Amino acid sequence: MSRENDGFVFHRGLLQAVLDVAFRVINFFVRWDHLPTLLGSANLSVFRERLREHNLRHTGYGTTPPGWSTGNDRWRSADGSFNSLDHPRMGMAGARFGRNFPLPECVPDSVDDLLEPSPRVISMELLARDTFIPATSLNLLAAAWIQFETHNWFSHGVPEPENEFKIPLKTGDTWPEDERVDGCMKIRRTVPDRTPREPWLGATPTFRNLNSHWWDAGQIYGSDRDRQMQIRSKADGKIEVGSDGMLPADPAHPGADLTGFNDNWWVGLSLLHNLFAREHNVICDGLKTRYPTWNDEELFQRARLINAALIAKIHTIEWTPGILGHPALDFSMRANWSGIPCRVLRAVLGENSEAAYGIIRSPTDQHSAPYAMTEEFTAVYRLHPLIPDDMDVRRIDAAGVEHCKLVDMQGRATRKFMETHGFVDLLYSFGTAHPGAIRLHNYPNFLRQFEKDGQPLLDMAAIDIVRDRERGVPRYNRFRELVGKQRVKTFEEITSIPGAAKKMRAIYKGDVDRVDLMVGLLAEDLPDGFGFSDSAFRIFILMASRRLKSDRFFTDDYRAEIYTDFGLDWIQNNGMKSVLLRHVPQLGPALEGVNNAFAPWNVLRGSAWPSS
Amino acid sequence: MALIITIPGLVRLALVRNPDELLRVNDAAVVTRSLSGRGGLFNRSVAAKLTVFRAPDGDIWPAFRDRHDPLRAAHQASLESALSKIDALLQQIAPEITELGNYVGGRRAHRSMGVVVQQAVGRLFFPDYLASEESYAAARTLQAWSSAWPLRAAWLRRSGALKAALDRIQTASRGNMACAHATALAMNNIVKSIELMRELALHGDNLAKIEPKDALLRTLRAPARVVRETRDGDFIGLIRLRSRTLVLLAVENARQQRASDPGFAFFAGAWNQCPAHGLVPALLSNVWQAARTRATAGA
Ligand code: HEM
Ligand code: HEM
Ligand code: HEM
Repeated sequence: MSRENDGFVFHRGLLQAVLDVAFRVINFFVRWDHLPTLLGSANLSVFRERLREHNLRHTGYGTTPPGWSTGNDRWRSADGSFNSLDHPRMGMAGARFGRNFPLPECVPDSVDDLLEPSPRVISMELLARDTFIPATSLNLLAAAWIQFETHNWFSHGVPEPENEFKIPLKTGDTWPEDERVDGCMKIRRTVPDRTPREPWLGATPTFRNLNSHWWDAGQIYGSDRDRQMQIRSKADGKIEVGSDGMLPADPAHPGADLTGFNDNWWVGLSLLHNLFAREHNVICDGLKTRYPTWNDEELFQRARLINAALIAKIHTIEWTPGILGHPALDFSMRANWSGIPCRVLRAVLGENSEAAYGIIRSPTDQHSAPYAMTEEFTAVYRLHPLIPDDMDVRRIDAAGVEHCKLVDMQGRATRKFMETHGFVDLLYSFGTAHPGAIRLHNYPNFLRQFEKDGQPLLDMAAIDIVRDRERGVPRYNRFRELVGKQRVKTFEEITSIPGAAKKMRAIYKGDVDRVDLMVGLLAEDLPDGFGFSDSAFRIFILMASRRLKSDRFFTDDYRAEIYTDFGLDWIQNNGMKSVLLRHVPQLGPALEGVNNAFAPWNVLRGSAWPSS
Repeated sequence: MALIITIPGLVRLALVRNPDELLRVNDAAVVTRSLSGRGGLFNRSVAAKLTVFRAPDGDIWPAFRDRHDPLRAAHQASLESALSKIDALLQQIAPEITELGNYVGGRRAHRSMGVVVQQAVGRLFFPDYLASEESYAAARTLQAWSSAWPLRAAWLRRSGALKAALDRIQTASRGNMACAHATALAMNNIVKSIELMRELALHGDNLAKIEPKDALLRTLRAPARVVRETRDGDFIGLIRLRSRTLVLLAVENARQQRASDPGFAFFAGAWNQCPAHGLVPALLSNVWQAARTRATAGA
């Protein structure tokens, strides 16, 4: 009668069933983050198993079946098709976002309630930054990194004019007069999905991912063959770089580099794109030495596989523990990649066990639904407070700092800024600056009045709120419930930020169920060491593992025939620090003794870290 | 006032009987048709029952589609417009109306009255729809399923009777979910009405005395209850409903307090108005009329 989730069914093992019950009992008394490291880690894997069973929902593909090209079995296709050879559309560019909750839960409010309370009021009263709150355990590369990564995983595309939302403005609002329509702020809608809707979608809106959903470094390599050919030098598998070693300009996108995906461009992205373009080219050199007969295509595609896996590894075992400084997490993330290094455990669990050997190289598994990025995943990655408004640019070879504004480091101004200050000094400056803390009252003000080419003036804070609502992402309290936490009854249960509960109560008219997801996540009190909220974290546990576990090239096909022995060793032996030092050896002293490349680096001259 | 029952872990429900309150709850933004099963074991068991009418990757039956589902509104409108050709449709099902008239008039029937009702309803969609004792039994099974106690429900599911009934109804409906809804669930209200008409006709000279329009008003029956859930908590009028409350709208009970308004049984004018709200009253009146005609002719 019906083919549930395109044929994918969840299978729960006996051990899992037992652990599930055990931890339900334990969690009745103790929260996971208060347990000893190993138990905490096991507790998280129990959460993840529950989420895998209940929180993956298919919404249809929204694409037509792709055509086969040679090499699709051996390496990543340009658009992500044929990652699964049985379900070629799964995760390809243009496929729909899935959901983490049952579809009837993912339904937007009707017109009257959708804009209530006013996103602009929330932007001004709860989100606007008064004074910069830094995240002192991180450096600014960590902020650029996560945007770099989200550009790999998803984009809803650039909104077009048509039937804009109109947000009424209070008297005294400073929103420029010439940007108003009928006295309102207008916000364009997300690009609609016009592909045929399956009858079972119900009232749940669907949207399509412009990029491939896979963890394939699509931000560097693009999500279609044309773009991929544009960025290539067409010799020795390399990515095109200028005579100065830097990425060339994108003629279609003033100020941005020519790369796979360069929307919302700024210096932070340019640094990482340049770094990993160089890494790609070095990998090509290494491959060519060992396989001199390989042509450009073969070298390019193999180097891409290796580079993408290295980036995924850095994300898993460096960036994530960097931002979530919990011991259970550090342990789990390493376990995710390479398993728990314990011989007894390995013998007991067997070599297909994720826990013992890591997800890498374990059998591919989609669990209960075809692989796709989700709307809820997009929502929890709205981390714009990471971006500061101001930044000190330092020089590695001289004292003194130049105070710069972020707004002058982005969009059209980006390439100019890069040329003026240079790759080396800017990397150093990013390593020695803090991102913003992911909290209320810390939204960068330049993004709250942001000029983007081809768009009306944007209040990104208000837009973030509107997006989650328009896409039918549940608001905060229901979101909590749906990821397996208790609903809260009062505003005070959400937050201890001084004054925040009172303000929220006024804005949401006392109704705690109306609190927007992003507001709740930014307000929430955090587990020890966490850089972001425990509620968002439930989605991460599920989706981060899934990006590896569902992907043939990290699981069944993570082997020498595909990657080469050279490639597997390269991934094994490298990390963010070695990549940085390979391409910018001048950073040596700044990185000396720094354990995690996303933690603050040494300030070599002049005033050290501002006391904040 | 709504009756609210909360036993932590077991049940959280609200029973709404007052007509005004019922309409207000039905219209509230936090109230949805789809059930999550949260709120207690009872809530979960009711939700589990209804999932068979809303398979995750299959089609959804119309009375379980959410308010803002674009397909629901489109189907509702197109069916409503198809059913608005009342005279032509009643002409089309004239044989069944006559047969039902005979039944109301007290004649012994050679097959169950339910089969005739099901065929009448089915033929509104497909002129060649053919009901049988088996297809009616399938409808009875689905009706029983919705209100069955756990043991009976488990039996229906385990024995395969539920699946067989769903398959039979959906096959006969040729993939048209409104037809499936009508021939499996909605028809039950018409069966009840016809049964009441027969009782009414048996008393004295009621058949001659009571006009078809009044007969209709006296025998029309709404669904006893339709179910909803509050997705989030809110005040609806004066009542405070907590999130994940199973809401039972006692439509029939409320209708009796509004007996002069036949539209109430069909939520006429509300977002979920029954597309057959014009046709069913005409159909029932015609049945009464057919019974009268037969009585006069046969006398
Ligand atoms: C200078 C830095 C940045 C700029 C100029 C920028 C700008 C934007 C803009 C214009 C949008 C689209 C808004 C819309 O939906 O209409 C957007 C979306 C988004 N941004 Fe940023 N952003 C920046 C940094 C970041 C960072 C550090 C993150 C951290 C993860 C981030 C995460 C996101 C996410 C998740 C979305 C939603 C994307 C989607 O809907 O597909 N952004 N940003
Ligand atoms: C202590 C428990 C765990 C926590 C707190 C945790 C948390 C996280 C977080 C926050 C991320 C990054 C979010 C993102 O990139 O979207 C992540 C990624 C990941 N986690 Fe976990 N996880 C835990 C346990 C596990 C376990 C037991 C496994 C597998 C055995 C696992 C596998 C992964 C994988 C493969 C990734 C992807 C790499 C990455 O994106 O960082 N995690 N996890
Ligand atoms: C005495 C007979 C009937 C009564 C009292 C009745 C009553 C109702 C009621 C109360 C609803 C709303 C249910 C809810 O909102 O949960 C409804 C919906 C519906 N009914 Fe009927 N009905 C009857 C016969 C029929 C017939 C004969 C058909 C088809 C030919 C039909 C088709 C529908 C459909 C398709 C809906 C769903 C409307 C939507 O899209 O929301 N009904 N009916």
